[in-house]
Amino acid sequence: MAKSEVKNSIRRLRFDNGEMTQQKLADATGVTRQTIIAIESGKYAPSLPLAFKIARTFGVGVEDVFKYEGEDS
Amino acid sequence: MNKTQKSAVFYLVMFLLWAVLITYAFLTMFVITPKVSPTWTLLVPFGVIFVTSIFWVRKKQSPAEVRSDERDDLIKKRAVIASFVSAWILLVVASVIPAVIVGDDGSVPVILLPAINISILMITIPIYSIAVLIQYGWRGKDGEK
Repeated sequence: MAKSEVKNSIRRLRFDNGEMTQQKLADATGVTRQTIIAIESGKYAPSLPLAFKIARTFGVGVEDVFKYEGEDS
Repeated sequence: MNKTQKSAVFYLVMFLLWAVLITYAFLTMFVITPKVSPTWTLLVPFGVIFVTSIFWVRKKQSPAEVRSDERDDLIKKRAVIASFVSAWILLVVASVIPAVIVGDDGSVPVILLPAINISILMITIPIYSIAVLIQYGWRGKDGEK
């Protein structure tokens, strides 16, 4: 899959939240670990509901997790 | 590997076993006479592989692992499209080849048509599996760290 134009801070947030594992984040958001890996490495842009779930898991807003870095950003 | 990847590998392995079984059946019918019963030489090992594979596919990464998520659904959808398009291309090619070989006035056995259709249906299985595995990344690692 192509690299996404949506950048994220999931790795940093995981470590800020007690070194949360990818598997724990996956279980908390109802997706597989492979999907978390793909999102974290920017290979996959999640849907809005999943983006909100991830942000809510960390207790922050969506824009604190995801940033759009397209041409018109 | 998640369940979708494991299922793709499972389908691929089952297709390969089926292909070996069919080849062996043709060989024993027309070329060689088996010294040992085919049940012991093929069916028993295949049965063991089948049962083991089922357990491997069902094993979860974690107790809360979901069966499939939005990315898995997207990957499966693309794989279905890839196998559907491949099936149509193969059908057209397989229909044209006999006509080219035997010519306008030639004839082919009636059994050829169902054989072509069934073969193409079977070939869509590995195409689907390979399309799934390619989308997850080579060797299923998908950038895991």
